[in-house]
Amino acid sequence: MTSRMVSKLIDQDDRFLGILDRLTTKSIDDYYNPYKLFEWPQSLPAAMWWMSPELTTTHGTEAAERLTQEQLYALSRHESINFYSLNVHGIRELLIEVTKRIHTTGFETPSEFFHHFIGEENEHMWFFAEFCLRYGRKIYRQPVGASVEIPRSHVESLLVFARILIFEELVDHFNSRMALDERLDETIRAINRIHHQDESRHIAFGRELVTVLFEDVKRTSSDEELKEIADYLRRYLTFSFESLYNPQVYRDAGIENPLDLRRELLESPARVEFERSVFRKTSKFLEKTGLI
Amino acid sequence: MASAGIDDVRAWILGRHPDRTTIAPDENLIESRLVDSLSFVELVYAIEGASGVEVDFDTIDIQDFQTLSSIEKAFFATTRIA
Repeated sequence: MTSRMVSKLIDQDDRFLGILDRLTTKSIDDYYNPYKLFEWPQSLPAAMWWMSPELTTTHGTEAAERLTQEQLYALSRHESINFYSLNVHGIRELLIEVTKRIHTTGFETPSEFFHHFIGEENEHMWFFAEFCLRYGRKIYRQPVGASVEIPRSHVESLLVFARILIFEELVDHFNSRMALDERLDETIRAINRIHHQDESRHIAFGRELVTVLFEDVKRTSSDEELKEIADYLRRYLTFSFESLYNPQVYRDAGIENPLDLRRELLESPARVEFERSVFRKTSKFLEKTGLI
Repeated sequence: MASAGIDDVRAWILGRHPDRTTIAPDENLIESRLVDSLSFVELVYAIEGASGVEVDFDTIDIQDFQTLSSIEKAFFATTRIA
């Protein structure tokens, strides 16, 4: 990818420029102090859903039928801590990648918005980590080898921003539903609501940027290279989805043989439907642009 | 005598690469792209399943995952008969 070509494509794209302006203004107008915004009660009740049951990994499976209501509540608690932990790790990686690109050749025009993006993501990472540490007493770890290295190549920026977009859209599927779910405690609904508000800007931006970056890559890549990109993104979708199934979560919820449960859940018919619903909009976008 | 556990790990990797039938004990799994960052977590779970030992994510040494031989040494050595 030629960096100059990318800036040219962005600067000629009136639609993208208009969206950038609008999103930047909205970031400024909606600015809030996250450190003062939340109430953070001392504790949250254990005997209730911490995550919408339809969004938990056992929903609609035979495994769920073997568990008591109390165990299902506990599982939703640990799964919610895992979900926010995934946010913490995902945000760390995207902050590194966006910071590497701000005010460099090719990214002159979106750099203004990158400042808001980086600032907001840092704040999201703070409140997700705060929730995990206050109510879960931990952040679930990611093994070192899983922090993804993108191979240095002419498609690097495209893959980076496509991954950021996939991650944000996955998270937003959960946020948008949990923000409205009256079965959940208000603190849980609030962090999901606030994150959903900010992320809708980031997703709108991400879709535009990925479309422009792919336009350039399409021009300069062979069919074989385009197929490799599609294969990689399909694998990344699966990888992101499967990270919701964390054996450590099942272990913490007191389930024996957590790896067996994980395998059972990943192979269950409910998984196929769950994955399809999580990525319904994302897959449609990626297919429409020709990325997968 | 090789442990059965490492055979399970080898079978797991081969199961994801139908174009391959063997992996040499010293073949570098990462350089040969048999394992990459997107499949690394699954490899860790496969090792946990085969060894019955929980791997501590905080203390993972990436060197232990380079080859079947290094995986065997790090996670299955106690089951070997000297």
